[in-house]
This record gives sequence, structure tokens and C-alpha cells, in this order.
Amino acid sequence: MEDLEDNTTVFTTLRSFNNFLSQRTEATPVPETSSASCSLQLQYRKRMQLEEQAEQIHSKSQLLQVEREKMQMELSHKRARIELEKAAQNNAKNYERVADQNQELLGRIKYHQEKESEAEKKLQEQIEINKIYKKSMETQNKKLQEKESKLAEANEMISVLKAKISELQHKSMNQERQQVIWDTERQELHEKVEIQRKKWQEATQKLQMLQVAQTISEENEQKIKDLETKLSLQEQDSVIVKNMKSDLARVPEMEKELRRLREENAFHRETKENNALLQEEVEGLHRKVERYEKMREDMVNLELEKEKLLGKLKGWENLKQMTGLNIESPEDLSREIIILQQKEITLKQQHNSVTNSARALEKARQQLQEEVLHLRTRNLENENKQEQQNALVRRLQKRVLLLTKERDGMRAILESYDSELTASEYSPQLSHRVREAEEMVHKVHVRNAELEVELSKALEEVGSHKLKAQTLEAELKILKNEAAIAEKSSFINSEEANSLRQKIEELEGERGRLEEENRGLMMRLERSNLQGDYDPTRIKVIHFSQNPVNLAKQHNIAELHQLREECERLRELVRVLEGGGSVPEKLEGAVNLPSSQEITDLRKQVESAELKNQRLKEVFQKKIQEFRTVCYTLTGFQIDITTENQYRLTSMYAEHKDDCLLFKVGTEQLSLYCIYRLVDFFVC
Amino acid sequence: VYGINSILYQRGIYPSETFTRIQKYGIPFFVTTDSTLKNYLSNVVEQLKEWLFECTVQKLVVVITSIEDNEVLERWQFDIECDKKAKDETTPREKSEKVIQDEIRSVIRQITATVTFLPLLQTPCAFDLLIYTDKDLQIPEKWEESGPQFIANSEEVSLRSFTTTIHKVTSMVAYRKMSSS
Repeated sequence: MEDLEDNTTVFTTLRSFNNFLSQRTEATPVPETSSASCSLQLQYRKRMQLEEQAEQIHSKSQLLQVEREKMQMELSHKRARIELEKAAQNNAKNYERVADQNQELLGRIKYHQEKESEAEKKLQEQIEINKIYKKSMETQNKKLQEKESKLAEANEMISVLKAKISELQHKSMNQERQQVIWDTERQELHEKVEIQRKKWQEATQKLQMLQVAQTISEENEQKIKDLETKLSLQEQDSVIVKNMKSDLARVPEMEKELRRLREENAFHRETKENNALLQEEVEGLHRKVERYEKMREDMVNLELEKEKLLGKLKGWENLKQMTGLNIESPEDLSREIIILQQKEITLKQQHNSVTNSARALEKARQQLQEEVLHLRTRNLENENKQEQQNALVRRLQKRVLLLTKERDGMRAILESYDSELTASEYSPQLSHRVREAEEMVHKVHVRNAELEVELSKALEEVGSHKLKAQTLEAELKILKNEAAIAEKSSFINSEEANSLRQKIEELEGERGRLEEENRGLMMRLERSNLQGDYDPTRIKVIHFSQNPVNLAKQHNIAELHQLREECERLRELVRVLEGGGSVPEKLEGAVNLPSSQEITDLRKQVESAELKNQRLKEVFQKKIQEFRTVCYTLTGFQIDITTENQYRLTSMYAEHKDDCLLFKVGTEQLSLYCIYRLVDFFVC
Repeated sequence: VYGINSILYQRGIYPSETFTRIQKYGIPFFVTTDSTLKNYLSNVVEQLKEWLFECTVQKLVVVITSIEDNEVLERWQFDIECDKKAKDETTPREKSEKVIQDEIRSVIRQITATVTFLPLLQTPCAFDLLIYTDKDLQIPEKWEESGPQFIANSEEVSLRSFTTTIHKVTSMVAYRKMSSS
């Protein structure tokens, strides 16, 4: 109100000033004429004064205004402070309230979070259960699909079978029809058969008639043949007669010719004789010529022989001079040769005789040597025997002495025992002892005999060995003698023997080596044989051309080829696609996409789906628009979506166009929370 | 034929599903059902029977090669010694069927047993049948000459032999020595 009062004072001052100005303006135009200029000046001064007053008033008013404003500002400041304090208090209260609410809300949030986690767990469980259900559903679906497919197959089979049944029915119908036809045909054929039978009977009758006629005809034919033969004969006769006639006609000519020919013959005979004579002469001349040629050749040969013989003669003549023998002719030479040969023969005979005598002498010598050996051996044997016998004799004498001694000893013992026996009563013991002693003696005798036998055997062996040694010595002596005789002639032989021995050793060494090599080679051969080696000159290896290895290789090569081609095609396709632009039809075809029909079908489907989508969108838009307008008009409220989850409610009857309520969709129970309220204040 | 089939089955050259079981010589055999393979085997065996009768075959070799690097991995060699005089004789020789069957059975069992020490065939493989014949034999139409397909670094194992009265068959297997343990 003070402001209003202030305002009214301002307004009143302004009004008074304006009135004053208007008065001044009204007052000023009265003094018009000559005092215009001084009046003007006065006016001007007055005006200036007034203006100054006005300005002062204005400034005062402004000051007043400012002061008033200041007062107002202070007041407003105070008010604002008060209000701020109030607001602060309110805010504090609100803050406490909000804090409480926050705690409540936090508690609730925790509670809700727990519920949420539980709900999530339940959700997951549910999801798992759903998955399991889905899987079971899928399996069931698959089973159903399989069953459906099986059903479809069964249905197909049924349809196929039905078709087959229908076909079979058709076939049976056809067959029945055919059967009927065949029956009719059969009947017809029967009738035909009967007709044919009648015909056959007629035919047989005709046949018989024909046969009769045939016989008649045959007879007639025979007659005809006879007649024909006769005719032919007659014709021949006629021909002969004609020929005869012609011959007869030719006879005189023939006679002339005959005469001529005879003359020619005579002439020819003469010429032949002449020819023969001439040929003989020619042959004779030929022979002469041959003889002369032979004679010439003989002459040449004879001259050559003559020269040879002359040479030989000269040689013979020279021979005589060369050899100094009484040789003048080959006869002498032959005589000489014969003489020499005879001499040779005699010498050979002498030689043979000499050799025979030598061999005989050798044989005799050998025999004598053998006899000598034999005699020596016998001699030695005899000597050995003598020695043995002497030894035996000596042994026997010793034995005799021993035996006599024993006997004496035994006699002494017996006498002592007898003497003792008569003295004492130890007879059984003594007899026992006597028996033991006798047994001992017997054993000793037996042992002695054995030893003597062994001794004799040993001596015999020794004697035989000595014999052998002596015989060998004798042979050795003989051989040594022979060797000494033949040593000189056999000196070379020993050298040869040594060389031969050396050769033999070398050859044996080589043989051993070759055997080892052979063994090694055989092992190698066996090994390679095991590995599959073979002799290419005798054996070859063959296999079937279409064998699995070749087939696998060809398959591989074909696959490789195919893969390479596919690879190239795919590379081209990639290049085209990277370059941009649609896939050309050729590559489409080359890339083996599904067939063009399927492509067109799919495209049509896609287009129809897109069209449907578009139509649905349009329809939806129209309907929604309609609905919204109807809602707005009927209810008076328009609901718009500003952002996600936020809705703006505007009223038809709002004071201002931009008045609205903003709502947010809560997560729980789909409740709407009012966010804030917009009100515009107009400020001039 | 049965021996070759059992080698193919045991070494896994073709998948086991392609084999069916039959009984022969008193023991179960696995023979293939693949028609191309059966065709090939029947062709080869027919020709082989002819040559066996004429006594012109020295060896039959089953070579197993790896498809990728074309290397020979295993070599099953059957040496055949034929008594040529038997062809001319008219009286049949005495050897009981049962004894021959027993010998064949033992050879097949040995082939099955060798699988334990033969190295595994890691890569896909194919097999080939080679026949060693006389040099002057006329090669029939669908056959061709080939090399002996040796294994370079091989280990050999000799198996049992069996005889009918006319033929004696000794078998052995050679495989490539593995450098690793």
C-alpha cells in the first residue's frame, strides 16, 4: 500500500507537471506580436526554469522512487530472509522427513532386493524348467514330426497301395475282359477247328484221289521218259548220220590232205635223219673240244708237276749232298727209313724186354723184401716167445719155490697146531682158524694166477708192439733205401710237390673265402626275397588296372579339381561382392544357390511379407491416430510419450498450452508417480 | 579271398560297417558288402585261380599304401610253390580236407594276431593286389605291369605256411619301421 501511495504521489506529481506544461503551452500562445522575441526569450527562460523545476521534480521523484524501491527492497529482503528461514526450516523438516523416508525406502529397497533375488532365483528356476519343458516339447515335437512323417509315409504308402489296388483292379478288369475275349476267340477257334477238320477230311479224300492220279501220272511220266530217251537216241543217231554225211563229204578232201601230209612226213623224216646225223657230229665235236680242253689243263698240270718234280729232284740231289748218306733216290730214302724203322723196332723190343726184366726184378726184390720182413717178424716172434717162455719158466720156478715154502710153512703150522691140539681144547677155534687160513691161501693163489695172467697178457702186448715197431723200422729202412735211390730223380718231384702243396693251401684259403661270400650272398638273397625282390629275367609283377589304389588316387584328383574350381568360383564371388553391386546371375548360378524357382518363390514371399508389414503399419497408425483423437475429444485429456517410461498428460481446458503433468511408469504394480508440475508465470 | 577280406577288416582299410560276418573253415570271417570292391576281388580271384591251376604264379602280395603321400605302409606277401608234376598226374593226391582246413584256420588266426604288433594306420589308406608270375605269361586285357612296391625301411615277420598236396603257401608281413618308439 505504501508503494501504491508512493505510486500515486508519483502519478500526481507527473499529472501536475503535465498540467503545468499544458497550462504553460496554453498560456504561451497569447502574447503573439512584437513582443514575440522578448516574450520568446521570456518564454524560453520560463520554459527553461520550468524544465529545470521539472527536472528537479523528476529527480526528486526519482529519488523518492529509488528510496521507495530501496525500502521495498529492504522489506523484500527481510521478507525473503524470513521466507528463506522459513523455507530453511521447512527444508530441514523436509530433509528430516525425507531422511526418514529414505531410511524407510532403504529398508524397503533391501526388502525388495531380497524379494528380487528370490524372484530372480525363481525366475531362473522357472527358466530352467521352461527350458526343460521346451526341450521335452521339442523332443515331443520331433517325435510328433517323426510320427507325422511316418504317418505321411504311411499315407503315401496307403495312397500308393490304393493306386496299386486300383491298378490291379483295372488289370483284373482288363484281364477279365481279355478272358471273355479269349473265350469268344476260343469258341471261334473251335468252330474254325471243326471247319478245318471237315476241310481236312475233304483234303484227305482229295489226297487219295491225287495219289491215284499221281501214280497214273508217274507211269505216264515213265512212258514219256522212255519215249524221250528213244527220241534222244534217235536224235543222236540223226546227228551221227549228219556227221557221217558231212564226213563223207569231207573224205576226198581228206584224201588229198592225206597225200600231202604223207609227202610232208617223208620230207620231215629225211630232215630228221639229217638232223640226227648233224647232232651226232656236233656231239662228237663237243667231245673233242672237251677232250682238247682237258688235255690242255692236263698239260698245264703236268708242266706244274714237272716243275715240282724237278724241284724235288733237285732237292733229292741236294739231300744226298746234305745228309751224306748213300741216297740218290727216294727209294734209297725209303730203304734207309725202313732200315731205321727196323732198328727202332728192335730197339723198342729190347727196351720192352729190359723194362720187363726190370719189373720182374723189382717184383722179385719186393717179394724178397717181404719175405725178409716176414722172416724177421717170425724171428722176432720166436725170440719173443722164447723170452716169454724163459720168463714163464723162471716164474714157475719161483712159484714152485714159493709153494714149497708155503707148504713147509703150512706143515709147520699144522704140526704146531697138532701139537697144540693134543695139548689144549681149542679145536673148533683152531679148525676155524685153519679154514680161514686155507681160504686166505686160496685167495692169494687166485690173485697170483690173475696177476700172472695179466702179466702174460702185458708181455704179449709188449712183444707184439715190439714186433710192429721192428717191422715198421724195417719198412722204413727199405723205404729210405728206395728214397735214397730215387732221391736224385725225385728232387724235382719234391719241388713240384711243395709248389703243389702251396697251391693247394692257397686254393683252400680261397675256397674258404668264397664259401663265406657265398653264404653272405645267400643270406642277402633270402632277405631280399623276404622283402619281395625278384629276378626280372624270369618273373614279372602285374596287377589289375582298376585296383582300389588307382581308384582312390583318381577320386582324390577329381575331388581336388572340384575343390579348386569351387574355390575359384567363391573367390570371384567374393571379389564381386566386395566391389559392391548385386550378385550377377551367372555367379548366383555358379555358386550353386538353390534353384531359381525357389529363389523366385522366396522373393515373392519376402515381398508379400513386406507388403503385409507396411499395410499393417499404416492401418495401425491410422487407428491409433483415430483413437487418440477420440480420447482427446471425449475425455479432454491427451497422453503423449516423451521418453522411455515417461508420459505427459495435457488437458484441453488448461489455461496455457504448455501446462502438463508428467508421469513415470513404476516398476512395481504399474503405478504412475507424478514427477512435477509446470506452471508458467508471465513477467512484464 | 577270405584272407584278403580279413586283412582289410583287421587293418581298418574300409570301415567296419561295410563288412558282414560269415562262417567258413569253422571260424567266423568278415567279408565286404561293397559292390565295387567285391567286383574287383572276384575279377582278380578268378584270374588267380586260372593261373594257380597252370602253376604260373610265384607270389601274391597285398600292398597297403597311404592315399595322401603315396607311401607303402604294409606289405603282406604270400609265396606260392607249385608242384608242376601234379598237373600231369592223373591220380589225385591224398591229403585230408580237414587237415588243410586246420592249416588255413591257423594262418587266419595268425593274421588276426599280427594286428597286435603292427603299427596303427593313421592316414586313410587303400590296398592293391600284386601277382608275381612267369615272365613269358601273356598279360590279360584288364591287367598291367607294375613295380614291386618295396618298403624302404622295413621290418619283416614270417608267418606260418600251409600246404595242400599240390601247392605250398608261405606267408609273411613286412611293415615300415616307425622312427618313434
